[in-house]
Amino acid sequence: MSKTAALNPSCQLVVIGAGPAGLAAATTAAKLGVDTVLLDEQPAPGGQIYRAITETPVTKRSILGMDYWHGAELVTAFRSSGARHVPGTTVWSVTREGEIGFSVGGAARLIEAERIILATGAQERPFPIPGWTLPGVMTAGAAQILLKASGMVAEGRVVLAGTGPLLWLLAAQYLRAGGRIVTVLDTTPPANRRAALPYLPNFLGSDYLGAGIALLREVKARVPVIGDVRSLRLLGENRVREVVYQSGTAPERRIGADLVLLHQGVVPNLNLANAIGCRQEWHEDQLCFVPVIDAWGTSSIERVAIAGDGAGIAGARIAAERGRLAALEAAHRLGRIDAYRRDAEAVAPRRAITRFDKGRRFIDLMYRPRAEHRVPQGDTLACRCEEITAQQIVEAVKLGSTGPNQMKSLLRCGMGPCQGRLCGLTITELIASARGVSPADVGYFRLRPPIKPITLAELASLPKSEAAVQAVVRG
Amino acid sequence: MTYSFWRVAREALRGNTGWKPAWRDPVPKEHYDVIVVGGGGHGLATAYYLAKLHGITNVAVLEKGWIGSGNAGRNTTIIRSNYLLPGNEVFYEHSMKLWEGLEQDLNFNTMVSQRGVLNIFHSDGERDAAARRGNSMRLHGADGELLDAAQVRAMVPLFDFDNARFPIKGGLLQRRGGTARHDAVVWGYARGADRRGVDIIQNCEVTGIRVEAGRVRGVETTRGYIAAGKVGLACAGNTSRVAALAGLRLPIESHVLQAFVSEAIKPLVHTVVTFGAGHFYISQSDKGGLVFGGDIDGYNSYAQRGSLPIVEDVAEACMALLPCTGRLRVLRSWGGIMDMSMDGSPIIDRTPVDGLYLNAGWCYGGFKATPASGWCFAHTIAHNEAHAIIAAMRLDRFATGAIIDEKGAGAQPNLH
Repeated sequence: MSKTAALNPSCQLVVIGAGPAGLAAATTAAKLGVDTVLLDEQPAPGGQIYRAITETPVTKRSILGMDYWHGAELVTAFRSSGARHVPGTTVWSVTREGEIGFSVGGAARLIEAERIILATGAQERPFPIPGWTLPGVMTAGAAQILLKASGMVAEGRVVLAGTGPLLWLLAAQYLRAGGRIVTVLDTTPPANRRAALPYLPNFLGSDYLGAGIALLREVKARVPVIGDVRSLRLLGENRVREVVYQSGTAPERRIGADLVLLHQGVVPNLNLANAIGCRQEWHEDQLCFVPVIDAWGTSSIERVAIAGDGAGIAGARIAAERGRLAALEAAHRLGRIDAYRRDAEAVAPRRAITRFDKGRRFIDLMYRPRAEHRVPQGDTLACRCEEITAQQIVEAVKLGSTGPNQMKSLLRCGMGPCQGRLCGLTITELIASARGVSPADVGYFRLRPPIKPITLAELASLPKSEAAVQAVVRG
Repeated sequence: MTYSFWRVAREALRGNTGWKPAWRDPVPKEHYDVIVVGGGGHGLATAYYLAKLHGITNVAVLEKGWIGSGNAGRNTTIIRSNYLLPGNEVFYEHSMKLWEGLEQDLNFNTMVSQRGVLNIFHSDGERDAAARRGNSMRLHGADGELLDAAQVRAMVPLFDFDNARFPIKGGLLQRRGGTARHDAVVWGYARGADRRGVDIIQNCEVTGIRVEAGRVRGVETTRGYIAAGKVGLACAGNTSRVAALAGLRLPIESHVLQAFVSEAIKPLVHTVVTFGAGHFYISQSDKGGLVFGGDIDGYNSYAQRGSLPIVEDVAEACMALLPCTGRLRVLRSWGGIMDMSMDGSPIIDRTPVDGLYLNAGWCYGGFKATPASGWCFAHTIAHNEAHAIIAAMRLDRFATGAIIDEKGAGAQPNLH
């Protein structure tokens, strides 16, 4: 609190999110003399990929792997950069005029920034299958948070289901930490291999190739892995008891489970960018919306740049480099460096991006999740806050509803406490599939502040500037 | 399809798969007798009453988005007729009577809930004003009751009655006031109008108004030119922009008004409460969320979003009135564009262009007026003459000085 109380009501640059992109951006900008504040929701820096890197109880380095410990360098550099770090902060509003509303320690604050870098990272893609809302079902990311932040693994029979590189990473970390995984159900459609094959040569040059193969081998040596899994369903009365699936053309099979971890890739966390009004477009390979940005990460709103996986999924190494680019541009526009120096300093980050981007298309196409696991049917819940089923959405489309925002007034989907964070993509894809058009034509929820729920007392405690008082004093 | 108990029961057994669209999706015709611009509550109600009461069915309602996507879907759903001046009170009481029979008239559940509207006061002077207003309401056939502090306490016990700045001394209660489901009002009128032959044309933005020799001939739209005998404008916050297409400059400013909703809780506020001294009002939705709002943002804007100082101001007023709400989480805020007239009262009238009619100036209270607004506007369009109920709501009153300067009706730009 005392740190926050000392915070000036304005600064040159605010970076939101302390993952690789945010840490690198704040470090680069502060070292160039930009007055920089880094706001982050977590108590310690690292974001999701490097979560709790400074304080994790999992100190045996081999458990979380070298890719995790790479984050320590970023944090060390950040600590000595001169940027101010405000942890434990929920940013709930950002205006186009650069006013940022956030809460820390139960009180709401405002800070004005000349420039803003959103480094809000990625979030897991929804996995709306029958039974996905049962107790005992979590996302793999949630299990990873427990592991990194508290050194905890679940007791009992754990089943991991889904697709994507992070599924294998988590499986390996879990096993190394002493977790018991009964089975990994790989939902990757075999047809993806054909689609990705043309991009294999490019992937052969990737830094991720060797590590990826090692991970796969490590997991497969210790846990039965079942491929081509489809028709995934989770059963149980008051909590999950069984996982039902089909593999290839084999008949349906069942396995008992105490905890099911679901994961089918990550998508950009666009909630803040969307609420500010940054333009976004549909990315057909990654099956998600991505913001429209220029080569420096600047969005359609000039003051706001987006760096890291929030600007399109590319991984932690590229995230940090994109953070550096956005910071260089910010420093340039704030008059700290000229265009020549900006371009000169951007050479190394751009080279690194080219290097780490090798094989991205291969990974995108290889791990595209199945349609049946993205677009639910029948009584399966699409919006869990308001308990709206897939069938209800389809019926509403038949009655003439064309997009998610109109759907809100018909069904209230996306209007619960999560504000559509968990169901946004599902609703968009459901409407698109029911209408027979691309998600690009359907669009996404228009999000409203507060981006995350905030108490009335916090809102009422917003400090008043002279201008703010003038704005409400009448007569 | 008529909605009945039997049909609801049958659909319940069939998994609700037999419902049909409640209105058609017609291709625009080349010519209509009347075109209403704006598919919100007012526009659709106008089309409905044109068809039902005046036999004019060759009517189109043009909407740039989907019907109800503007202020009709963004308000706080309050209905009331607690005005002071005859120019207003007769009209709003007419609206209240239409609300009371609306569901039967439309065969549509608009969820009209007469849970009461309570205006609280804090001083002897305010009590006198409330008594005067209540007397005026009763003289015009509406209901109004003056409550003392104990009676208010019985209704909403969790108010901060001993607030040092705004101690609650009593309130003016209109029991017939309350709320209605805003989207359902739009859908009900749309369905009713459609069944009488009105074409509801969505995703059709008006981009021009063709005027020849001082008379309106039709409208240019994103779906082509459509000829019209008469054109009625019911486009709320965008009125100035649309009217400018016909060369009109109106005594209207567009302002943004924000509203908020909290997470759902058990029943806390059983009535609609306005806290005039704090520029604040609150009610509780049927789902349990507290729905509240306050002052306009105070600057001209066509953007459906507001600024943070007003957010703080509204939250502070809420805490002052109901301190127990402090730990309640706010889920969502939104903004609507208000067509603020210079005396705070609406305009339903002809315009200097023959065949072009205007329905605007609703400030921040257009929702409650929906039925009467459509009813009176339909009359004006059909007969080319204003009904006696809206005799005072003239466009030229800002030139002649015969303004309806109601105080205490909410924010208005000329007072600030």
